[in-house]
Amino acid sequence: MTKKFNQYSGKAGHLAVMSEFLILGWNVAIPEVDIGDDIFVVQDDNGTLRRVQVKTSAATDRQFGYSGQFNISIKNLRNISNILVHYVFIARKNNGWSKPLIIRQDYLLDHFEYNKVGAEHEGNITFYISFSDEKIECSGQDFTKYVQDFSDFPFIEH
Amino acid sequence: MTSLKIQVNKQLDGYSFSIAPSVREFIKKLFPNAHPANNIFVAYDTKSDFDLYYGKLENYIFPALLGIDNDNDLKKIDEIEFVDTQTGNALHKLTPHDEKI
Repeated sequence: MTKKFNQYSGKAGHLAVMSEFLILGWNVAIPEVDIGDDIFVVQDDNGTLRRVQVKTSAATDRQFGYSGQFNISIKNLRNISNILVHYVFIARKNNGWSKPLIIRQDYLLDHFEYNKVGAEHEGNITFYISFSDEKIECSGQDFTKYVQDFSDFPFIEH
Repeated sequence: MTSLKIQVNKQLDGYSFSIAPSVREFIKKLFPNAHPANNIFVAYDTKSDFDLYYGKLENYIFPALLGIDNDNDLKKIDEIEFVDTQTGNALHKLTPHDEKI
């Protein structure tokens, strides 16, 4: 896969995730200037804002299921501000996307700092996430609870 | 020995004080009546004014962040360390166990 195609698949991942928020009744926007946040997700009637960063990966077949490799900058992960970032991980498998894994920044940082999740290299953390029918794991930690965890994005009726 | 870490992130306009989800869980287990917060933001000018008129802001931030209002509960914590999230450096240390709150 070329570097150029990564941009195409990355954008396809963003749009796939954006459609999930829209179907929940949350509005979405892509910032005009790229400052690290991929998507702004907004509750229209009261202006509640959530920052979302989408991470995509091509799936690699494994004996049981498949895996994806995702990179995040340590500096960004440690930059805890008053509006936390929600990281959304999706992997492209055959002709479809995996179910999104949604992990809030403070939880992901907690996993990295205290559970030794992810591999640190030159200012980035690489998360190797394995997907199977029964379980989703990262560095031995069970991440199944984060699958489609839209609890911070409750359905909004319009 | 109960030792807690409070993360401090210096932003463009102020400080974000936060505690990790695992620390929040620990606090809730230790003090069932506690209501720990995710984070508290304080603008730079607010902090400097506060430090000048009332004393170190950190002394007032940690009970609010941990959601503990009982002095006896606070004294069960031996040490609280304020750590810069970007550098890992310790910025401030408190020992509620030994201090008059």
